[in-house]
Amino acid sequence: MSLPKMKTTEPLTMSDPPTGSWVSRLVWNFRHHPKRELWFAWWVMVIFYQLYGVLFFFVTRVQPPPSPAWDTPTVVRWFDDHDFGILAGFGVVFLVAGMCAPMNALLAYSMRRMSVSRLFAYSYLIIYSLAAVPGMLVMAIAMIVAALRPHRDPELIHWLYDFAFLSFSGTMGVFMIGSLVWMVAILLDKNRVFPKWFGYLSLCNALTEVVVAPAWIFHRGAFAWNGAIAWWINMVVFVLYTGVFIVLLRKMIQREDFRAGPLPALPDKGEAAHSDSVEAVR
Amino acid sequence: MTNLAGSRPQLEEKPTKFVPGQPDMWMFVLFESLLFTGYFSVYLVSRTQNEELYLRSQAALDLRIGVFNTIALLLSSWAIARCVKASREGAYRPALINASLTILFGVVFLVSKVLEWVKEIHMGNTFTSNEFFQHYFFLTSIHCIHVLIGFIVLGVVVYQLWSPVRRSQQLVETCATYWHTVDFLWVLIFALLYVVR
Repeated sequence: MSLPKMKTTEPLTMSDPPTGSWVSRLVWNFRHHPKRELWFAWWVMVIFYQLYGVLFFFVTRVQPPPSPAWDTPTVVRWFDDHDFGILAGFGVVFLVAGMCAPMNALLAYSMRRMSVSRLFAYSYLIIYSLAAVPGMLVMAIAMIVAALRPHRDPELIHWLYDFAFLSFSGTMGVFMIGSLVWMVAILLDKNRVFPKWFGYLSLCNALTEVVVAPAWIFHRGAFAWNGAIAWWINMVVFVLYTGVFIVLLRKMIQREDFRAGPLPALPDKGEAAHSDSVEAVR
Repeated sequence: MTNLAGSRPQLEEKPTKFVPGQPDMWMFVLFESLLFTGYFSVYLVSRTQNEELYLRSQAALDLRIGVFNTIALLLSSWAIARCVKASREGAYRPALINASLTILFGVVFLVSKVLEWVKEIHMGNTFTSNEFFQHYFFLTSIHCIHVLIGFIVLGVVVYQLWSPVRRSQQLVETCATYWHTVDFLWVLIFALLYVVR
């Protein structure tokens, strides 16, 4: 069954709702569920962020970031201590980096479902497609190059260390614009795809991206790339923001009716149990 | 802050649920308050570690300019409160005048802040001079970004009040809440940077 086109005027009807074991329901969902692509993208997002956290925080250990004030011998020793984690972890990062595509597509889809111009979705898609380069891949390449040959000139290893962390932490302006695009779309939207408070939370997130800019200047203190303001507070806001939009995107998919106009509210639990809606049979 | 006592009878029917403007904007007030609490905490912890440097650097700030900034923003808050009150009463011309006054006081604040930055930089106190001035330039800059966003928000107020076909009271109050937040944050920044010794 193909995905119903948006802006249909007829209500969505379902045939052959699944009964029996969870396997048969899973197969039915896989073959017939009209929102299967949306749910696929949502699950990719959930898995990607979990992988991202594990790989960056526990395998490669590049987060929380080490100090920009370290001297060359300390940096070289850090690479010696983490070389396997860096090589294996960033190897996996390259494998899963493509997961950004359906994830970003879902975010752009949310904007296409709004009453605003398509320009918002296209701008967001382009910004976040490019953002994977400074936000992840450049750092991964620099780190792997430094860890691959531990007997390289220590000054070169230190250079790669600075290059990796500055490319990762110092390029948050790209994400700031992305957050602002989403914010404006949410505040202008009349289809109630997201609550307005999420638009304001996007503004908070965008403003914390501004705060990372001093990381280009300082070697130590609250504004260095590992500082209390430039990294720790930002990370708390980013994790909160990400958690919130994952939940809100889930609700958006549940509410999606593939029509134009405002998204319907979620039915109460009691109503949902007796409903023949798409979500009730999922 | 905006006086709620002058609200229309239909708004008084649900006093327990009523907040000025969109409730969502009050979530923003909460987010921003938490975020700035984080920034202030970092400032205060850093201060305890090098109190002498902070005291010496604070002495280089001109308290009179800080007081002038605060008065300018308090006046702007007073003007936007009067704008909301006038708009509730359907007096849109006075509401527009008060919205314009809010913008004017906001511009006075911004210009005086930029002049203060120039003065400090001429005195050799820059963003990289020491820890105190890192926090000083950071907190005042991030606040000024809020003020700049505030001008867009006040533009929405003027746009709403301008034409009889718009005039959404809820939007006017939502925007006023944002502007009050900008003022509220400045009062805290002023207290921490200029007053607390």
